[in-house]
Amino acid sequence: MSFFGFDTNLPRDRQGQTGGQSMFQQHDPFGGLRREDAGNQESLDFEDTYDGLGLNLDESGDTFNDDTFGSEEPVTRQDVGKDFDFAGQTSRMRGELLEEEALHHARQPMQYAQPSKQKKSGYEAYREPEYIPKLEADASIWGKLSTNNKKPAEQQAKQDSSARKMMSVEEVEAMMRSQSRPTPPVQDTERQSQGLRDMLGVGSPGPAPPQQDQTRPPVQILQRPQQQQQPPQQQPQMQQPMPGYNQRAPQILQRQHTPQQQGRPQSQDFQGQPPYPTQQQHPVQMPMGAPPGQPQQPRAPMQPVSHNRGPSYNGPPITQAQQMMNMSNEERETYLAEEAKRAKRNHKIFLLSKNNGLMTPQDKNFITRIQLQQLLTATGGVDNAMGSEEQLAEDFYYHVYSQIRAPPRSGPGQPLSHFAQTYLFQTGSRYGHGRNRNQPRGGDNHVQRMEQQVARAVEAAKARPKNKSLVVEGSLGKIAFSNSKTPRPLLNLKRADSESRMRPARQTTVADRKAALRDVEHLFTSLMILEDHERKMPEPPNEESPPDKIEGHIKWRTELQHLNQNLWEATKVMEPIQPNPTTPHPFIALLALSKSKKIIPRLFRHLDDQQRLTMLTLIVIHLDSLDVVRDAYPPADNTPLPVRVREEIALFDACIMPPLFNYVNEARLEIMVGLLGLVLERVHVQSILRTRIGVSMLTMLISRAELVAGSLPPNANQDDKQQWQQLYSRLFDTIEPVLPYIFPTTTNVAAADDVYVWQFLAAMGVGASPDQQQRLVLGVKERVMETVGVAKGLPQELAGKKLGEVNLFMRAIGLDVELLG
Amino acid sequence: MLFFSFFKTLVNHEVTVELKNDISIRGTLKSVDQYLNIKLDDISVVEEVKYPHLSSVKNVFIRGSVVRYVHLPAAAVDTPLLEDATRREASQASAKAKQG
Repeated sequence: MSFFGFDTNLPRDRQGQTGGQSMFQQHDPFGGLRREDAGNQESLDFEDTYDGLGLNLDESGDTFNDDTFGSEEPVTRQDVGKDFDFAGQTSRMRGELLEEEALHHARQPMQYAQPSKQKKSGYEAYREPEYIPKLEADASIWGKLSTNNKKPAEQQAKQDSSARKMMSVEEVEAMMRSQSRPTPPVQDTERQSQGLRDMLGVGSPGPAPPQQDQTRPPVQILQRPQQQQQPPQQQPQMQQPMPGYNQRAPQILQRQHTPQQQGRPQSQDFQGQPPYPTQQQHPVQMPMGAPPGQPQQPRAPMQPVSHNRGPSYNGPPITQAQQMMNMSNEERETYLAEEAKRAKRNHKIFLLSKNNGLMTPQDKNFITRIQLQQLLTATGGVDNAMGSEEQLAEDFYYHVYSQIRAPPRSGPGQPLSHFAQTYLFQTGSRYGHGRNRNQPRGGDNHVQRMEQQVARAVEAAKARPKNKSLVVEGSLGKIAFSNSKTPRPLLNLKRADSESRMRPARQTTVADRKAALRDVEHLFTSLMILEDHERKMPEPPNEESPPDKIEGHIKWRTELQHLNQNLWEATKVMEPIQPNPTTPHPFIALLALSKSKKIIPRLFRHLDDQQRLTMLTLIVIHLDSLDVVRDAYPPADNTPLPVRVREEIALFDACIMPPLFNYVNEARLEIMVGLLGLVLERVHVQSILRTRIGVSMLTMLISRAELVAGSLPPNANQDDKQQWQQLYSRLFDTIEPVLPYIFPTTTNVAAADDVYVWQFLAAMGVGASPDQQQRLVLGVKERVMETVGVAKGLPQELAGKKLGEVNLFMRAIGLDVELLG
Repeated sequence: MLFFSFFKTLVNHEVTVELKNDISIRGTLKSVDQYLNIKLDDISVVEEVKYPHLSSVKNVFIRGSVVRYVHLPAAAVDTPLLEDATRREASQASAKAKQG
C-alpha cells in the first residue's frame, strides 16, 4: 500500500479494531455475490468494462504487498486475480479512509453540524418512514465496527439524526432492486449490504461499505443537495470521489458507474449515494485544511507525474506549433528528437548552473591552495629539492648514496674518507647551482604564479607542523594531523632531562664496554655535526665582499673551531694517562670497537697536525694494550686466532694504519725518534713483535726514520741522526732475541701470510750496521731457508710471490734469494 | 623515512622479498613507496614448485605490510653510510622527542 502513498499500518489498525479476519471473511461472500451480480448484469461486469488502464500503472511495487498487508486476505487475490488486486487494496483503503474520515468528523464536529442540517433538508424529500427500522438493522451489522471503534460510535451518537437519514439509503436501495433486478428481500440485512456494495462500486469488495455507511451519513447529507442542485455536474463529481474511493483505478470505477447511471437514470441519486460519501471526503476534508493524508496522498503520486512530464517534453514543440504544422512527418520526428535532446541538455545545464557564481575567484584560489598544501605535505614538499636541509634530513641515505655511487660509480670498497668528502663537498654546491639557474626563469606567467603559489603553500605547510593538533574551539579534544612524514605519535613521551644528564657522569668513571660504546656514538655525533657544519661553509670572502658576508664567514670559522674542539674532546685522546692503569685508556678502549676503527679515517681529516700527533703518540704508547695487539698474541697451542680478532686486525690495518701512515710519511725525524723512544720505554716491544699490528707499527716508524735519516743532507743537524742511531741500536738489541719468533706460527710456511714480517726485517736491515745485519740474518736464517725451500715446491706464481717477499729483506741487507739457490 | 630512503637506493637491483606467507619472490626492485610497498619486475618465485600459480606472473606489487624480509644485494649497501643515516635518524627522533 505504501506504493500508493498510503499509511501502511492502517490495515492492521483496522484489523485490530474490527477483529481482522472476521471482517475479511465478510468480504468473501460479498465478492462472490458481486460476481454473480456481474454475471447477471453486464453493466457491472468488471472484466468487460475494464479498459486496461490499470495495466499502465506501475505494478512493480506489488511484490511485497503480501508482506505488507498480510497474505491472510485471499479473497481479492483468488477471486479477482492479480490484475484486480487494487480492488482488495481499495477496499482496505476505503476502510482506512472512512476511519480517517470518522476520526476527522469526530475531531471537527462543528463543521459537520451544519452540513448535517443541510442534508436533512435535502433528504426529507426522499424520506420514507418505513425504512427506518431497516436502517437500524443495518446499523447493527456495522455495529461491529462501532463497538470496536469508539470514535465512530461517538460520532454516531452525536449525529443521531444523520443516522436516521442514512436509512434513506436503504430505501434507495430497495427502489433500485425493484427496478433493475430481482433482489433478495430487503429485510435481510446482509443482502442489503451486498446490494449496497454492488452499487458502491463493483470494484470495491464487501467490507468497505459497512464502514462507509457508518461514516457516510454526514457525507450523504452533504452531497445530496449538491447533486440535486447541479445535475449536470454529476459526472465530474463522480470522478472526483473515485480517487479517494479507489485510488488505484479511478477510471475503472468511473466507467462502471457511468453505465449504471446511463442504464438507470432514475436511480442516479441512489446509485450516487455510495460514491458520494467518498466524494464528500474531499469537499469536506479539503476545506479543513489538514486532511488525514490519505485522500490527498494517493492523488499526489499520480498527478504530479503527469504534470511534470507534460511540460518538459511537450513544451518546446508547442512553442513551434505553427511551424510544426508545416513539417513533414519525418521532419517533425527529427525535429522533435532534436528538441528533446536540446531540452535535455538545457535541463542539465540548468541543473548545473544552479551553483554558478557560488564561489568567487578568491574562494577558488583558496581551495586550490589548500589542495596544494595537502599535496605538498603528503609528498614531502616541492621545496625539499635535492640537497636541501630537509631533504638531507629526511632522505639522507638516498641522497648521499646516490651522490657517492652514481657519478663516479666507484667500487663498494671505497675508502671511508673518500665517501665523506664526496658527500660533504658535492651536496651543497651542485644542487645549489641548479636551483639558482631555475630562479630567474621568467616568461611563463602562469608557471611563475604557480611557483609562487607553491612557495606560499610550502610556507604554510612549514608553519603547520608546529601545531600538529587542531583544537576546535569549544571542543574537549584535539584533532591530530598526521602525514607520511610525521605520523601521528601513538606515544608522546617527554624524556626526562635528568636521564641524559646522568649518562655523562657515569661515562667518566666506568670505562667499560658500554661506556666505550657511548663514547663512540658521541664521537660520531660530534663528527657528523662538524661535517654538517663544514658542508654549510660559506664562500670564502675576499676584500670586496660585503661586511656581513665576511662576518658570516668569521662566525662560521669560530663555530667550526668550536665543533672541532668538541670532536677532539669526544675522542678522549686527551684523557690523562695513568701510569699504572687498571683500565685501558678511554681512547684505546674506544679503538677496541670496530666502528670506532672505522671512524678514525673520517676523524683524522678534521684534526690538525698537533692533534694527529697526539693521537699517534697515544696509540704508540698504548701499543701493547691495543685490542688488536693484546688479543693477537699467538696462542701457545698454535691455534689460529679467533675470527673476531682477525677481523679487527684487518680492520685496523685497513682503517687506522693508512691515515697514520700518511701522517708519519710527512713527519720529521725527531718525531719518529721520539715515538720510537716512547715505544722502547713504555711498551713491551718483544711481545708486540709477535703481533701483526705491532710489527706493522714498528715498521712504519722505523722505515720513516730510516728514510728521513738517510735522506738528510750531510750538512744538516747531526744530532737527530745520532739520536736515531742510538735508538736503533737499542731497538735492535731488544728485538734480536725474538727474531726467530716473530713469524706467524699458526700456519705452515707455505700458507703463511708473513709479508709484514719481511717488511719489518727489511726496514730493520736498511739501517743496520754490517754487524747488525749479520745478527739479523742469523736470527731469521732458518725461516729464510725454509721459505725458499718451500717455494721450490710451490706453483710458479706462488713461489715467485714468496721469494719476492723474502727478497724484500734480502735486498735490504744487500743480498738476494738467488744467491741462496 | 630511513628505510624508504634506503630502499630507494636499491631500485633496479635484484632483491628477494620474503612474504609473511612464506613465499619468497626474487625480482628487480622497480619502486618503493613510503609504506614500503614494493613493485617487482621479472619476478621468479624461489620455490617455484611449491607455488606454481605464480609461475606465470611477471611482475608484482607487494603491499608493504605483508613483507617479512627483503634480502638485499650486499654490494649495493653502503654500511657505514647506512650507519650514519641511522644515527641521524636517531638523533632527529630524540631531538623531536625532547621538543615535543
